[in-house]
Amino acid sequence: MIKARILRGAAGVVGFLILGELTIRFGLTDDVVFPPPSLVLWEAAALLADPVFLSGVAITLTNWALGLLASVVIAVPLGVLLGSVPPVERATRPLLEFLRPIPSVAIIPLAILLIPVDSMMKVSVIVYASLWPVLINTLYGMHDVDPLAKESLRSFGFGTLDVLRRVSLPSAAPFMLTGVRIAAGIALILAVSAELLAGGTGGIGVFVLQAGSGNRTDLILAATFWAGIIGMVANVLLVAAERRLFHWHQARTGATT
Amino acid sequence: MTRTVRARALVLGIATALTLAACGGGSDTAATPAGGKGLEKTTIKVGALPIPDPAALYIANAKGFFKAEGLTVEPVIIQGGAAALPQIKSGALDISHTNYVSTFLAASKGEKIRVVGDVYQAAPNTFNLMVPKDSPLNSVADLKGKTVLVNTLNNIGTLTVEATMKVAGLTKDDVKFVEKPFPDMANALSTGQGDAAWMTEPFITATQSQSGFRKLADTMSGQTADLPIAAWMATDEWVQKYPKTLAAFNRAIAKAQQLVASDRKEVEAVLPTYTKIDAKTASVITLGAFPTTLNATRLQRVADLMLEYKYIQSPLDVKNILVGATG
Repeated sequence: MIKARILRGAAGVVGFLILGELTIRFGLTDDVVFPPPSLVLWEAAALLADPVFLSGVAITLTNWALGLLASVVIAVPLGVLLGSVPPVERATRPLLEFLRPIPSVAIIPLAILLIPVDSMMKVSVIVYASLWPVLINTLYGMHDVDPLAKESLRSFGFGTLDVLRRVSLPSAAPFMLTGVRIAAGIALILAVSAELLAGGTGGIGVFVLQAGSGNRTDLILAATFWAGIIGMVANVLLVAAERRLFHWHQARTGATT
Repeated sequence: MTRTVRARALVLGIATALTLAACGGGSDTAATPAGGKGLEKTTIKVGALPIPDPAALYIANAKGFFKAEGLTVEPVIIQGGAAALPQIKSGALDISHTNYVSTFLAASKGEKIRVVGDVYQAAPNTFNLMVPKDSPLNSVADLKGKTVLVNTLNNIGTLTVEATMKVAGLTKDDVKFVEKPFPDMANALSTGQGDAAWMTEPFITATQSQSGFRKLADTMSGQTADLPIAAWMATDEWVQKYPKTLAAFNRAIAKAQQLVASDRKEVEAVLPTYTKIDAKTASVITLGAFPTTLNATRLQRVADLMLEYKYIQSPLDVKNILVGATG
């Protein structure tokens, strides 16, 4: 069954690439110059042997991982605090709701001006952007904790911290991981956007800047291809982690909904 | 060589990020006192666009001219001269490649920046107005009522196109300027999103050879012939604080600039190392000139041109902005 699903997915991708290839080769007028998928994939494969590109990918991924990690370290405890102390949540909610919809890419120019260390600037904007999904999902997770389970523990004489540790956190954990998964995609967008706007010594976005100035649309697309693959792999891994760690949660929500 | 530099940059990046993530503050690139030459700062970050202009920076690095001055220069790819301004202000960059129009615009708005070296100057056919092969446009006068694509509005492109149109009796109100990145211009023209595009290399050569584009006009002729294009800039504060470092940087880069100015082969050899312009393209594109002195008289022309076309509102004496100028 899984095999059939993979086959169908692959057929979709191949069909799309062929359609793109044919459209670009025969559908476009000769005046429009655009690299067809075959060329882009060829260049993308060649990039795997380009040490400069690979070290750039390492730089981008390092910023991405640090940013994501920092946002989890900040957002999870904050979400737990807000979720378990309602007055604090009510006091901070308006501010959060104001900050959250600001397009994160729009704060990059401000970050460039304020933060003198390039990698720190990039990690900061990643943290800012990926904070929200983790925070909001943690909040929802904390709200979603079964009140009966909490009450039961309390009636057996357990303290607040014990209730938090034994009921609330495990119950909210799947929500947190979902938040992290959404944040991972956003973090990658910001990691590359920050490089596109600020440049740097290396990175996927920096490579794209170089390719653009050199009139190499094929290389721009090849680098973009790898950015897409990285995002996809990160998502697949996190979905697998969710399934593995929290299969009981899926069983539970699956049974009640 | 490049690999070790990249690897070191990566390690440095991770280390910096980790340290900063851990302590949440502080500033890097602290001045390491004296590199044997009494420099205030021995490692500097220099921003540069991945285009032919800053070839001397990479040659000075490759040939060890900076090392000989006791200076370690880390080239940083920037997105544009205007984008690099906040980076020299924040201290993310020590010195940056920029263009004169952006720099003089910023200076006229009171930004405390200084031009510390000349980089690039236009030559014939380095910045052309290009049209598709079947375009009905045959002269600059035909541009009336048309759309002209430029990479950045209110900058060198629009300024020199305006100066070119003036000869044909047109003003900026006779055309519509639209901003479009260089790599997208050719397709934009082919699909009717514009009528002419202000291009530079390697786009001029590429569109000519791939799609048969024609030159409508050389925007660097007449009033704009040999127009100064690009410079090295730093903040006033940086110049005051690190005079010996700046002098060392200038000595090293002047040596490289001399090589670049006298031998085109030097540029062709270094281009593929820091741009995505390959050796074959590098050997056919038209290059500008690489000035070896910072000449106030020559640069005043840019400021005067900007005043004439109202890019700046009051006269700007470039002597006040230049550091170490002659003439």
